[in-house]
Amino acid sequence: MSIVTVQLGQCGNQIGREVFNTICSDARGAHGLCSKKENESYHDTCKERFFFEEESEVPVARAVLVDMEPKVIGQTLSMAARSGCWKYDGHSHFCQKQGSGNNWANGYSVHGPRHKEAIMNLVQKEAEKCDRLSGFFTIMSMAGGTGSGLGAFVTQCLRDAFPTSFILNHVIWPYGTGEVIVQNYNSVLTLSHLYQSSDALLVHENDVIHKICAQLMNIKQISFRDVNQVIAHQLGSVFQPTYAGEGGLLYSRNPLGDLMETLVPHPEFKMLGLRNIPQMPENSLAYSTFTWPGLIKHLRQMLIANAKMEEGIDWQVRPPRLGSSIPSGCSTNKPLHFNTSIANLVILRGKDVHSVDLGSFWDPSLYTSWLNPQDAFHAWKTPRAFNKYEKSASLVSNSQFLLKPLDNVVGKAWNMFASKAYIHQYTKYGIEEEDFLDSFTALEQVISSYTIL
Amino acid sequence: MLPPRAGGGREAAAGAMRRRQERRDRALSAAVGALCRALPPPARPAPDTLRRARFDRPQATLDCWRLLYALLKQIHGSKWTESDAIDNQIRFVKLALWYHGYDRPELYQLPSDGSAGSRELLLAFSWLLHRHSLLEQLLARNRVKTGDETSVCTCEDDLPSSQKGTAEIALEYGPEDRVDVRYLQWLNGRLKFQWRSLHAQHQEQCKLLHKLLQLLESETMQLEAFLEWKQLEPVYWQWMETVLDNMAEEGKKCESRDAHVEKSRLPKATLCCPWADSLTGQIDRLSRDLMTFRDQLHKLVTRRKAAWCEKVKIREEELQKEGFSTAAKKIQESAELKLLDLTCLCAPTKNKMHGLCRLVFRSKHPASKTGFSSSVSKEPVSAVSATEVIRDLQMREASLERELKQLQEECRQRLDEIAEGLDGVICISP
Repeated sequence: MSIVTVQLGQCGNQIGREVFNTICSDARGAHGLCSKKENESYHDTCKERFFFEEESEVPVARAVLVDMEPKVIGQTLSMAARSGCWKYDGHSHFCQKQGSGNNWANGYSVHGPRHKEAIMNLVQKEAEKCDRLSGFFTIMSMAGGTGSGLGAFVTQCLRDAFPTSFILNHVIWPYGTGEVIVQNYNSVLTLSHLYQSSDALLVHENDVIHKICAQLMNIKQISFRDVNQVIAHQLGSVFQPTYAGEGGLLYSRNPLGDLMETLVPHPEFKMLGLRNIPQMPENSLAYSTFTWPGLIKHLRQMLIANAKMEEGIDWQVRPPRLGSSIPSGCSTNKPLHFNTSIANLVILRGKDVHSVDLGSFWDPSLYTSWLNPQDAFHAWKTPRAFNKYEKSASLVSNSQFLLKPLDNVVGKAWNMFASKAYIHQYTKYGIEEEDFLDSFTALEQVISSYTIL
Repeated sequence: MLPPRAGGGREAAAGAMRRRQERRDRALSAAVGALCRALPPPARPAPDTLRRARFDRPQATLDCWRLLYALLKQIHGSKWTESDAIDNQIRFVKLALWYHGYDRPELYQLPSDGSAGSRELLLAFSWLLHRHSLLEQLLARNRVKTGDETSVCTCEDDLPSSQKGTAEIALEYGPEDRVDVRYLQWLNGRLKFQWRSLHAQHQEQCKLLHKLLQLLESETMQLEAFLEWKQLEPVYWQWMETVLDNMAEEGKKCESRDAHVEKSRLPKATLCCPWADSLTGQIDRLSRDLMTFRDQLHKLVTRRKAAWCEKVKIREEELQKEGFSTAAKKIQESAELKLLDLTCLCAPTKNKMHGLCRLVFRSKHPASKTGFSSSVSKEPVSAVSATEVIRDLQMREASLERELKQLQEECRQRLDEIAEGLDGVICISP
């Protein structure tokens, strides 16, 4: 039940390091608020999941670092080693001397095939160190050059080499007003390729995290480090050990498999959004208390109204009434702005978690017509508090969360494509117009599937 | 009366023949009648139809086609309507017969307006009857449902004789009674993912088994070496004896020489173990302390005994004034409890097993117990059942709880005493 993380590009490597940091400090921390035995069990499970333990040494993260430049990888390795509580394997990285200049096609068609063997060797070595491989977790940005093009290629190679493993791609959605002109092209190509090889795409939007930093965490000068730490906290709240289902005696040993089975068994619906509450600056934690009913209510409304964080939720949005003779497949009768879900997973961590009432999430009107709540909704719990939050709740949702952003990106990319702007940058390295058209078609299909829920 | 001879014999023979014929006819009509009655009502022909068909009468052809149509439709379990046009019926019958393996070309060449061929059809009907146990099938199919049957089979073949509609999966039915294909895709995906998880688990099992085998292998090698050693041990000790002999000889030789060396050996010894001195000193101190403690205990015990005897005397006098029985009962109860604790602690724990025990699931079979009593084993396999362990633990838990309560009481009393001593201090218990 070990997860091998593949950190791709600058974005992937920086986020990956924060994720391991968060996980390690949470596992070692004394803020568990639970019995010693529980804490030990949590610690052991977390260790096996993410780290490889050698005899008398610091735990080694189960990760492969890939980048075209040596700078970021060097920083990542040294910062991890300096922490003193964990480190990366000194051999488990791949980098070249020069970058790929933010060119997706270069990453996908040139660097990918050229370095495939070296990268896959590293992955194979990590996989063999695991007693049981739960799957792969890749981190990359969608719109960059190396991370996206090479990342899409590496995901394909992973699928070819490990056809029976679970692959979860964590993708960073770029800022709407990003600096890279061709970011929408890159996004479209990345998404369409990932959709074929990966089992699920877990998305974090830069704009959203930025707002969380500004409004909830009260950070004045938001750096990438702040953004990455918020992302790491949210990811940690999903991947740290939990009990799946009622009355479990042991922590789940199949985190990725359980996640996939509950959320993305349908091959057309792979886009997952993530919400986590509460989020606040660390020094305010001691002065705040939360109740489970309040958290659950907020989380549910965030789901329904497609809110990105716990402030500014539109409480007017309500689920449609069932019982009216709405034929299946017709979405025009649903109230506007209502976010229909296919499947939801709620993860609760902290004090008194056994007493939580999740009845409001079993409401069939939240879900699409062809899935009933028994199939569509699951909850994982653990009494062990996470990352110093006395109570925290996360929602991983396969719903229309990403429909609008996806539509936007595809729309903008199509407009550029219509005038053939910058296409030569791609055709130069072997990505033809046909490939673009295929990608557009694939994503239009995804958009349409999500729209008619 | 004897039958007449010659000419009269031929008549008699003819008569006998006629009588046999009549009997045969009667038997035949009974058979055909029974056959027709045994067929299910919608497909029940008139016995006459079959008789006419035997002589290939064209009037019987249509009836025969309809008969075959009805029967074949029933076998295939689908609803049939009489309103089907005759050429459709004929086409269906031909197809069905072909499917069942009837390969007489004459039937397939019959005209599709039902004008001729009743004898062919009779032949086909009889073939069906025999070859495919028509009657048995139809009777089984059309049994009256008494509502007390259920099926436990989970196979999915759609045999013609099995009933459709016993879907095991709780499918989602929309208003048109159809399943949404997206739900089926969902279920299919879940199945695939579960298979993958199973695959990963299997691989893990193999890996761990391999590790276990490696460890076992090295242990086996060690054990084998140990056995070998056991065989050859005497040789080694013989050899060691020669070593000792050598050392003793050398010692005798050196005794005279190394008189002062011996003395110097002692300081060497202390050099080797410099802590020996302090150790002996500590031991002396400990033994002295123990002696003093023993004397003190002795004195304490005698003093306590005397005080106790005093108390008993006073209590006896008091009790003689008050009611004796209730006090005695209370005292008896508390004494019993204390005794129970003591006996638990001091009882020879027959099944006290330290270390790890292997978990074995054994069913409670009374017969096995009788086997044990007759067998004599030198080293009985020490086993303890889970219920015994649970009972022991529960008793221990109860006694510990009592002890805890007692200690809490004592603490409370001491705190009260202390609190009384302090002025202006109020103690609030948690």
